[in-house]
Amino acid sequence: MMNSTVLTQCSPGEADQAVPAIRLLDIDKTFANGNQTIEVLKNVNLRVAPETIVALIGTSGSGKSTLLNIVSGIVKPDRGQVCICGAASEAFNDWCSVGYMFQDDRLLPWRTAIRNVEFALETGSMPKSERTRRAGETLQLVELDGFKDAFPYQLSGGMRSRVALARSLVTEPRILLMDEPFSRLDAQTRALMHEELLRIHRLKRMTVVFVTHDVAEAALLADEVAVMSPRPGTIKEIVKIMQPRPRDVTQPEVTEYMQRLRALI
Amino acid sequence: MDSDGLVQPGLHKLRLDLIAERLVLVIAVLAIWWLSSLSMPHYILPGPGRVWDALRLIVANGDLWNNLGITLWRVAVGFVLAALTGLPLGIFLGANKRAGEFFEPVLPVLNTVSSAIWAIFAIIWFGISNATTIFVVFMTAMPLIITNVWQGTRSVNADFIELAQVLRMPQWKVMIKIYLPTILPYFFSGARLAFGFGWRVSLVAETIGSSSGVGYRLRQAADLIRTDQVFAWTLTLVIMMATIEMGMMKPLENYLFRWKKDAQTE
Repeated sequence: MMNSTVLTQCSPGEADQAVPAIRLLDIDKTFANGNQTIEVLKNVNLRVAPETIVALIGTSGSGKSTLLNIVSGIVKPDRGQVCICGAASEAFNDWCSVGYMFQDDRLLPWRTAIRNVEFALETGSMPKSERTRRAGETLQLVELDGFKDAFPYQLSGGMRSRVALARSLVTEPRILLMDEPFSRLDAQTRALMHEELLRIHRLKRMTVVFVTHDVAEAALLADEVAVMSPRPGTIKEIVKIMQPRPRDVTQPEVTEYMQRLRALI
Repeated sequence: MDSDGLVQPGLHKLRLDLIAERLVLVIAVLAIWWLSSLSMPHYILPGPGRVWDALRLIVANGDLWNNLGITLWRVAVGFVLAALTGLPLGIFLGANKRAGEFFEPVLPVLNTVSSAIWAIFAIIWFGISNATTIFVVFMTAMPLIITNVWQGTRSVNADFIELAQVLRMPQWKVMIKIYLPTILPYFFSGARLAFGFGWRVSLVAETIGSSSGVGYRLRQAADLIRTDQVFAWTLTLVIMMATIEMGMMKPLENYLFRWKKDAQTE
């Protein structure tokens, strides 16, 4: 009963449009802080087309990380509906799984690289041999198969980031959510990880939503940038970036987008 | 040491100079011992020769293995019981904030009670039996294990729990895959400490509440003023503890915690 209303809300509505990978409908979220409540998100609506890359950008406190956590299901909204591939997000489904990459790599220090990647497959009942095979393949995808038996302390920051990326990709997610995934890396390593992400995106065609506070990162990677403003957190504007990838910060078009984004936040 | 990327743990170079140093130390100790024994009656300080003879005797008549075996067995039983109760209790106290707060004063109190007092209680309750020694080992080891495991549960990284949540991992898998590996080093160091303490207090318990075991033999030798035998038993204990520590505990720890960067610096 409840389910059917949820499903009708999640269906795209207009027949000519593709089912969005992510659809957010009227999301509200407040957090209690002592005896005062903070409106973190107010009336947020967002539609993310399949296979696109979307950046969430805004000052701190604009609720971008909370919004990402609502999509992933870690945080429940007070009001509104989250739809993943046309279904209610509570109906967690196999054909359209969601991968999540944290701000830090969060590798379990007692596990080797390959066993860290396997960790993402250990929720269900997949046999060990199959887990190992897939984790090995995914490490190959991020070009780290030579280090599969290394422990996290033996890896550099960039390598650790690759392992974390592999862990979020090993479940073959149709949607990849990333919370400032490369913000802790040095500029050079971050640029490499950007290339890496775009290469994998061309290959796997998953939908990517990432949070960033870096206008350059947004302008370099995203098809669309959702600019958020704080108190209460809302999506202020959506900027479509038409420039084809790969992009470069020295391109005048990209610089123009960066200036526009900077003016908006 | 991490400058060359991959570090191979557990590789110990055979250092000849170190072996020579140890050898010199042993010879020096033996020499001082022997020289001091020359000017003293043998029931106060027996020389290395006398102790060696006493040692050969208890090895030959089977005394050594029988008593060492029975003592080791008692320590092991007490220790295993302490681990089996201490691990779940420590996890419970760590997981349940209110229970932890409520029981917090109990542990320091238990730790302050001397093992000799436990031994006296044990004799009142269990008489001259295996249970006396086992009880004393248990009462000494258990608080140590609880304290360490408790501390371990408090060090579980909330970020890893969040990671498991994002992956929709069921609670029991989180316990096995995140809590347990985090607690294991704490449990291990607690268990190691507890085993060492347990071994020492077992002797106290055996001297007053047993009719077999190394502790009983030590007291017997002392009563008969067979100081050479006291030395012989002491020597076997030292050798045995060193063997367990370096032959079992250290390699096990090195293997289990090879993922720890600082574990390899020794």
